[in-house]
Amino acid sequence: MESPFARWRVLSDAAARKKYEAYVKEADANIGAFLEFDAGRPEGRPGGCLEGVPFAVKDIIAVKGFHLTCGSKILQNLVSPYTATAVEKLAAEGGIVVGKTNMDEFGMGSSTDNSALGKTNNPWDGRRVSGGSSGGSAAAVAAGMVPFALGSDTGGSVRQPAAFCGVYGLKPTYGAVSRYGLVAYASSLDVVGVCACSVGIARDVFELMRGQDEKDQSSLDPGPDAPGPDAKVIGVLGGDLGLDPAVERAYRAAIGFYKSKGFELKEITLAMAEYYVPVYYTIATAEASANLARYTGIRYGYRPACAENPEELTRRARSEGFGDEVKLRILLGTYVLRSGFQDQYYQRAQRLRQAIRADFDNAFTRADVILTPVFPTQAFLRGQGGLDQFQQKLADRFTTAANLAGLPAFSFPAAVEDGLPVGMQFLAPAFGEARLFEVVRLYEENFPRPLPPRYKPEWS
Amino acid sequence: MDVSELKVTADLANIELGEEEFASLGREVEKMLDYFSKMMETDGMSLPSGPGRRAANRTRPDAVSGDADPDSLLENAPELEDRFIVIPNVL
Amino acid sequence: MYQSFIGLEIHIQLLTESKVFCGCTNRFGDEPNTNVCPVCMGYPGVLPALNAQAIRLSYVVARALNCEMSPQAVFERKNYFYPDMPKNYQISQFSSPLGRNGWIDVAYNGKTRRVRIHEIHLEEDAGKMIHAGDMSLLDYNRAGTPLLEIVTEPDMEFGEEAEILLQDFRRTIRYLGVCDGNMEEGSMRCDANVSVNLEGRGLGRKVEIKNLNSSRFVKMALNYEIGRQKEILDKGGKVVQETRLWNENRDVTETMRTKESAHDYRYFPEPDLPAFVPDAEFLAQVDRGLVELPAARRERFVKDYGVNEAAADFLINEKGTADFYEEVAALGADPGAAASWLQFDVRKILNRENRELAGSPLTAARLAQLLSLLSGGRIHGKIAKQVLEAVFAEDKDPGLIIREKGWEQMDDAAELAALVDRALAANAKAAAAVKAGDAKPLGFLVGQIMKATQGRAQPQMVQELLKEKLGI
Repeated sequence: MESPFARWRVLSDAAARKKYEAYVKEADANIGAFLEFDAGRPEGRPGGCLEGVPFAVKDIIAVKGFHLTCGSKILQNLVSPYTATAVEKLAAEGGIVVGKTNMDEFGMGSSTDNSALGKTNNPWDGRRVSGGSSGGSAAAVAAGMVPFALGSDTGGSVRQPAAFCGVYGLKPTYGAVSRYGLVAYASSLDVVGVCACSVGIARDVFELMRGQDEKDQSSLDPGPDAPGPDAKVIGVLGGDLGLDPAVERAYRAAIGFYKSKGFELKEITLAMAEYYVPVYYTIATAEASANLARYTGIRYGYRPACAENPEELTRRARSEGFGDEVKLRILLGTYVLRSGFQDQYYQRAQRLRQAIRADFDNAFTRADVILTPVFPTQAFLRGQGGLDQFQQKLADRFTTAANLAGLPAFSFPAAVEDGLPVGMQFLAPAFGEARLFEVVRLYEENFPRPLPPRYKPEWS
Repeated sequence: MDVSELKVTADLANIELGEEEFASLGREVEKMLDYFSKMMETDGMSLPSGPGRRAANRTRPDAVSGDADPDSLLENAPELEDRFIVIPNVL
Repeated sequence: MYQSFIGLEIHIQLLTESKVFCGCTNRFGDEPNTNVCPVCMGYPGVLPALNAQAIRLSYVVARALNCEMSPQAVFERKNYFYPDMPKNYQISQFSSPLGRNGWIDVAYNGKTRRVRIHEIHLEEDAGKMIHAGDMSLLDYNRAGTPLLEIVTEPDMEFGEEAEILLQDFRRTIRYLGVCDGNMEEGSMRCDANVSVNLEGRGLGRKVEIKNLNSSRFVKMALNYEIGRQKEILDKGGKVVQETRLWNENRDVTETMRTKESAHDYRYFPEPDLPAFVPDAEFLAQVDRGLVELPAARRERFVKDYGVNEAAADFLINEKGTADFYEEVAALGADPGAAASWLQFDVRKILNRENRELAGSPLTAARLAQLLSLLSGGRIHGKIAKQVLEAVFAEDKDPGLIIREKGWEQMDDAAELAALVDRALAANAKAAAAVKAGDAKPLGFLVGQIMKATQGRAQPQMVQELLKEKLGI
């Protein structure tokens, strides 16, 4: 079988590289997926399965010599002195990082508009957001600029922009891929994920990246009881899901497809579903408040023009360096951990998180995989007619569950409705990625990835 | 959440808020906390406790890795004096 | 009548090759910011990775202090901002520290008091901030050094007890090889807390004392503080619950001025590190790291070697000395003589040369040989001391030294008789006096012969020969 990367060895000779660079330059002028692009970096190990293949990395993942801004003013000038484990593994197979992609500041948002460093337009409609927080990665893949791009998924940050841009988005099992080099937003929820132009590429990239890492002691290899690739019973959600009509149609169509392929479709009840979002935001912001405490302008990053003492320096650096959404989440996270409030918020959320895990353990005794929408809307417009920050948070109700329960989830372009892609996702038991790839591959065989009209490079 | 609590919280987080920001972020925090109150509907005591399944007893051998490049770290520092990182501190 | 309550918080840096959560060198005194990496500098995206030796040494201490081991040790984040703390949270342990409910015995004033250990937990040290004019200089070499905190209950009454506890504890950790216990360099640090109340009324208002750079200062500060608090109570006043600093120039404690911002550490479990669950295999490995501790060794030395308390105290103070002593004894030397030589003659030379026994030219085998030459009559006491000096000066075996220098005792009767004749001839007056019945000059005559032989003549034989020649 031909490698899914065969068409993508565009950096293996100078002529191809030149053509490739020209394409990216032109495409990205309208999209703004990249914060930094450099296709001329030294090539990776020859002979590897990714030899000559370019890929992009969300600017929250460290690549030595590239910036590591996290979409924030506070890290705008930081050059990473080291490389993330996941990236090292891909580079060891010959893959070449060509750039860093735009994102919501520190991964906090669903549009990439929370970036302090630029806007990323949706390749399907430039007035619309690319989703977030890995919007730049999803857009770069959708527009054929790279075959795959690494992202991070804390509450849906790979799957939602993948759905908005019409590409595949994998959120691996928590711990399956090393987090070393992934800048922490919420450490117990964060995973390195991948936006890809095909199921095969998503699968291969995941297989290359996965594995226990000495530098990440929360990383794990699958145990002997890891779920197998076969799925027969698909759990689906019943009742009113509060979806936009286009999304509702696509969900029903996807269910119909799998039924027609002989799967058993079983309606399941996830009793804890109404708590996903509050539990997620409690835990995520609590961890973020500690994770983002290191940004003070002392050792690296933005330093304010004047300050008389360390405290003033720190306060100014953070006040001037962080955007509103980041400040909001830090304040919220600080509050829910404070003595006197911690029991009520953080501790209770931890207990609810356990109950959510148990709920999924239970659900997977009845279904092999679970099919749900990714987001209640398609890519939304900026400003009027879009979603405000609070509405965006409420809309995380389908994606956050996989992070809270540590489960793998894979979003895929299920349909194009009204000229925009709609994404659906499958969830599987921990370390059940193989099952996700199998079940989505079947969909891809029947409905190949739709391409945004304006962006169709010859190699894509 | 009253204003003094927001002030204490911002102090703990080392974030300085202007008057306008204080009001607008205060409203957003309030809104989220309201939303979080949904969690209070549950009977907390009947819920399981603890951080759940985690890998245990992971350690690394006690060896100097020697792959760090301290000078490249100092290059990112906004202000240096010899090899020290400098911050203002007017007593 | 008042009662005082003293507790200690002791921090020790563990003697590991690398830092607790990264592979940087764990070493004191290097150029600033040389032993640093993205992890211990708090760079974005890095993760801590627990050092196996740091956790093992922590459990060794917990065992030595008779602690109960937690079924799982959980790392947590302690959140507060400080420029020398790279992440602005410290990875520590809080709700489930690795050890709890231990104890350490303190003997003072003829009584032994059992001081309870509240808990022991492993955490990371911070860097260093040095003030220089209108700026501060930051060095992160120390950031991430494994730091073990030992918290006692307020079970002591006197500053002297705290001093003894610290000295005993220091000796213990040095025995275990977990820390060098250097309070000046800060590898061992101590904060004390003390409260005073009317007897029977329980604890008073607690005052914490910091900046205690030696165990002597701990004693002085606590006794000063007890006096200060009693005085306040005597006048009907109230002790302010606060942190005070020991001023070692004025021998007083002083209020530490701090900003009035309330601390709220917002502890929560560290998501980057799984809990550590000590299993039977690990605990067996920890036990293999335990050695006979100083108190037990002191007791054994008195019992098995018959040395007195003072000698035992000296011998067990450093593990190296005690090991050396046992080696000398095992080589057949008289334990009493070996103890006395180590305690006095050897120590005198080491002090004078400002060096340690370990690594010096004096090995256990050499000391045993020296003692055997002495007890076998090949040399006598005065020469033996010269031989010891020569061992240090020339790094040679005692046997070789006495051969080379011709220091072996003279015990040839004919040779000695000739010397006696010569001495009697040279000192006719003294000889006559002895003959006349005055015994006193006999000693003088012996001395003359010893002098002529640089002390090598066998003194008993000289005496016998003199008596024979003089007919007494």
